[in-house]
Amino acid sequence: MSGGQHIVRIVAQRGIGFSIDRVVCRSPIITINFVDDAFVVAPKGNYRNIALETGVAPLANGSARISIGGGPHGIGGGIPGTEVVAAVKLEVEDVQTEEGVDGGRIVCAVSCSPSAYPNLTNNALDDLQSDLSSVLHQTLSHSSLHPPNLTILAGRKSWLLHLDVVVLTDSGSIYDALFLASAAALRDTRVPRTRGIEYKAQSRRATEEDIPMGDAGRSGFDTRALKKSTDFELTDYWDEGEPLGKSESWPVCITLSLLPPIHYLDATPLEESATMSRLLLFFAFPNSASGNSVLQGMRLLGPGETDLQIMKTLIPLGEKYARDLKRGLDAKLHSEALRRNPATRNKMAR
Amino acid sequence: MAQALFDRRRVNGPEESFPPVYDSDEEDELSGSNLNTRQGRSSADIRPIYLKPGLINQANGSAYIETEKTKIACAVYGPRQSRSTTYNEKGKLNVEVKFAPFSCTRRRAPMRDAEDRSIAVLIQQALIPSLRLELLPKSTIDVFIVIIENDGIEGCVASGSIAASTALANAGIEMLGLVTSCAASVVNEEIWLDPTVNEARLTRGTLLLGFMPALGIVTNVWQTGQLTIEEAIKSMELCKERCLDIHSVVAQALLDSAKEQ
Repeated sequence: MSGGQHIVRIVAQRGIGFSIDRVVCRSPIITINFVDDAFVVAPKGNYRNIALETGVAPLANGSARISIGGGPHGIGGGIPGTEVVAAVKLEVEDVQTEEGVDGGRIVCAVSCSPSAYPNLTNNALDDLQSDLSSVLHQTLSHSSLHPPNLTILAGRKSWLLHLDVVVLTDSGSIYDALFLASAAALRDTRVPRTRGIEYKAQSRRATEEDIPMGDAGRSGFDTRALKKSTDFELTDYWDEGEPLGKSESWPVCITLSLLPPIHYLDATPLEESATMSRLLLFFAFPNSASGNSVLQGMRLLGPGETDLQIMKTLIPLGEKYARDLKRGLDAKLHSEALRRNPATRNKMAR
Repeated sequence: MAQALFDRRRVNGPEESFPPVYDSDEEDELSGSNLNTRQGRSSADIRPIYLKPGLINQANGSAYIETEKTKIACAVYGPRQSRSTTYNEKGKLNVEVKFAPFSCTRRRAPMRDAEDRSIAVLIQQALIPSLRLELLPKSTIDVFIVIIENDGIEGCVASGSIAASTALANAGIEMLGLVTSCAASVVNEEIWLDPTVNEARLTRGTLLLGFMPALGIVTNVWQTGQLTIEEAIKSMELCKERCLDIHSVVAQALLDSAKEQ
């Protein structure tokens, strides 16, 4: 395959000391494997194994931890892969007096642990954090992905969703890991159920009276003026809440490292430094039944030269890879949900 | 938490203050919100560009670009010695973007924030493939961009890239070609090029393309929002054609400025 030989020559000239086999043997067909957190299967296909665990931060409304290519004994031990933890915290925000938006808003932030990038100065680390945050925020906080159930009291109070991602180690494919962890944490998020209440003065004492938000049971001929709820309460303190809306449509990221005329996935740090440009593609699959995809974002990084014709062929290929990744993510999240739900766990134990 | 950060270099106004909202502003917003056809120009038209290199004498190279409500001034200093002591085989390109406090509808604090840096990173990405940095070891090229009036982020990045490339050429730095940039937004089923900030509110996805017509290579792609793959590819094609037109504008402006000197 002449394309493959071309790559071997370039790498040999630059004298890069990693196994050339890894780059040459890449075939265009992708298999991505999600594994249980305890064992590592020998890497097959084009992507390192990905370990995923949800519910890692009990104080957060939703959380997930991703490890791409982590060594034996999975997350936290052995050979470091790319490890990323994402957590969602919901805060109440006032629409009128603070910066709140009617309908809620999402803010994403990435922070890089200095141990993940021991060679960077503090300023460079800040810049990297800012860059990763802006890519994450621009893609995930777009109005097309906005979940519908972030309102508490229309026009008054809404939920501010903070998505915070921490990079623990970076061994390549950082954008893929960030978006996978974010998607998993957002799908794990539960929004507390609230109910609007209104304070009504009764004779000389002010007492509290519940007026539920939904007007079920009220007669259509009710001529009283509609009272606006001014405050809210949690309906059930122990209930974790309802799942965040539109959970199927959070995008996944695929990083294509470009060495024209070929491309490859999942670059390790050595491969990244040898590759002049990479294309980040963010795909969302909003309707799992029809399976159609939308391009939720695209970014070209690096000083290399890219041809428009090549880009036109890369985007549909990236969509195929993203579809595989999403399928794996869906399956793994489903098994995580079964594992964490005690009702089904008892059923499975029998 | 105090809303206004205490800036000890400036005279701080009262802690809480709000900008006045004029009736005419509200009317503009409402009239733009229900349109199916574009007002004032066709969907493939970009706003006319005024580009003047060599405006800032103190800098090695400079350019000023104005397209209707976007006004950007760019100055290039370099190549000059790197401040860092480590040896760098290739030159470094450092892009800094600053919004003037009066550039947006609501006053922006003079502090640098995350939005400045994200625009700077995009402009740097557009310029880097065009520069011959391997000829400038141990050197840095500083590009300072001031946004005097701002009509949408996509417009800022596109015009900023054009101004920066012109300024780099004006400074005599060796390049592989001029970089031009154009943004497209998808509104309903149409693709509108060079959206203003009001048009950008109607759109469900925008795409910005940085292109070097001399070699026919793409230097920068930035897409946000929801687009199908076909829409994205179609937008890139339209942007690329428009970039070829902008290139002749830039080349003419540089020629005129060289003749004047």
